[in-house]
This record gives sequence, structure tokens and C-alpha cells, in this order.
Amino acid sequence: MKWVSQDMDMFLGAREYVDTAVLPLFPVSFGNDIKQSVAMTEFIQLLTIPLERQFKGRMIMLPGHSYLKNKSKDKLLEEAIVWEQELFDNGFKHVFFVTSDSVWKTLEDELKGDLIWLPSIPLAAMDEGARNSILEDQVKQLLQLFMQKWQDDV
Amino acid sequence: MSKHRVSRRQFLNYTLTGVGGFMAAGMLMPMVRFAVDPVLKANASGDFIPTPQKISEITEEPTRVDFSFEQQDAWYTSEVTNTAWVYKDENGEIVALSPVCKHLGCVVDWNTDKANQNRFYCPCHGGLYEKDGTNVPGTPPIAKLDVYPTQEKDGFLLLGKAKPREEA
Repeated sequence: MKWVSQDMDMFLGAREYVDTAVLPLFPVSFGNDIKQSVAMTEFIQLLTIPLERQFKGRMIMLPGHSYLKNKSKDKLLEEAIVWEQELFDNGFKHVFFVTSDSVWKTLEDELKGDLIWLPSIPLAAMDEGARNSILEDQVKQLLQLFMQKWQDDV
Repeated sequence: MSKHRVSRRQFLNYTLTGVGGFMAAGMLMPMVRFAVDPVLKANASGDFIPTPQKISEITEEPTRVDFSFEQQDAWYTSEVTNTAWVYKDENGEIVALSPVCKHLGCVVDWNTDKANQNRFYCPCHGGLYEKDGTNVPGTPPIAKLDVYPTQEKDGFLLLGKAKPREEA
């Protein structure tokens, strides 16, 4: 489910079936890596669309958490922990972070939720056909990850 | 000027008829246009969307067919990709099922659950459907999968808008 009012009605009606929350993490920077941070944000944004479509009934796709890239690691971790705590407290059994920013990879062990780190692909330079097939492929592999995680829990 | 003189009565008659005629036409024209609009509408069968699937290549095994079309919401046009599970039933009729689970809208897959061969499986909550789209009792879904109306054109499959079926 997306973070839109129509899907929220569905969520409120079927809450016991929705046990997974996905929080995309978007870096924002105005330094030398401005383009890189845009590419990361863009890639994750595009990726979340087919992901949400596939698992509409079991996951809620949050609007995403944007953070300034020049913040210290400790600060970032602190915020992420607040996020996941809130989600766990609200009855979600699985919390996934999806990002392209490699900073999170080093923080992975500190998080209770699962971190999915994907290197960003320069999709903006591709035509639509190539972009769709690459995205589809990426999503297909992501699906396995989610299903695996759900299965382990049964 | 001609010798023929127009009396005041005649002049008023002419002008009133003229103006009245224009007003009547102004009211009737849109009504007529509305009435005939459905007839003038171009390609009423345009609701069928072509897919890259060749009719001759459809087997009895459900295959995934992706097709995209331009969706127009007022002025905003967007490209939408849909999926269908297509196969031939025992009578040779083509069946196209919507992959959207009737439970909460996840996407179902064919033959992916090892414990349930030859069934559609929803990875979200374990919903199951038979090959013809009938929901398996005891699993979360409460209705059959939607079906797409099908058409053939130049050997390729055309799909309409997915319709829900009557209660199972």
C-alpha cells in the first residue's frame, strides 16, 4: 500500500494482514556529490513503485526519509532507530530500509530492521525500454529477499 | 434603395424570426451534438489493447503476458504496464486472467509454491487459485481472479478491461 488516502482505508480495514513496513532512505546533498545523491534518490524512488505493486496487500510503502548527507553517522543512526522503533511499536513485524547510500551498509548491524542496499544505476541516461527491463530485473531479485524473510518467520 | 418599402410590422417580423431562429439553433445544436456523440466517437473497440503475445504461441501452460498502454486521466497521460496470465483451456479457448489477488491486491504467480503445483499462488498471505482462477477454499481470497475479455487481430492477442466474475 502506498501512503495515499485511498490505500489507507484499505490498510485500516485489513490491518492484521499488513505486517511489513518499507522505509526508503533518500540522501540529499548540495556539495560535490549533488548529482550522485540525486541519482541515488531517483533510483530508489523508481524501484519502490513496482515493489509496492507486487506486495500491495502485505506491505506499506512509507513516503521515505530524506536526510542531509553531511550529517554525522551517529545522527543518521539515531534517526533511523527512532523510525524503526515507531514502526515496531505500531505492530509491524518486519521493517525494511531501502537505500542506495553506502553509509547505511556500515550501520546495518546497529539496526533491528533489515537494510537493503542496492548500488544505484544511472537510469536517467537510458531509454524507457532498457530502464524498465533493468528495474524489473532488480525488483524480481528483491522479491526473493522479501519472501525469504517472510518465510523464515513462519 | 428599391422602391419596395418595408413596413414597420414586416421589419419587426423579419428581425424577430431571424433572432429567434438563431437562439433556437444555439440551444438545439449542442443537444443534437450530445445526442449523436456516441456515434461519432472514433474506434469504439479501442478499449482492446494489443499485446506482444502471438495467438499461435499460447499453450495450455499459463504464460505471463505484459502489455503497456497509455492511460489518460483528463490531460495527464501516463504509460501503464499490466500483466495477464494467458493459456488455452481444454476446449482450446483462450483464457486471460488478471494477476491481481482478490484478497488485498498483491500480484499472484503461477506454480511458484512447491506444495501447490499447478495453482496460482499469492506470496503475501498464501492465497491459492486453481488454473481457471477459482479461489481455493480455506485460503484468504474470497473471489475468483478477474478475467480479461480477449480478441484476436493479425495473429496477436488483444485484451480488454479486466472484469470481476460472479461470486464463486
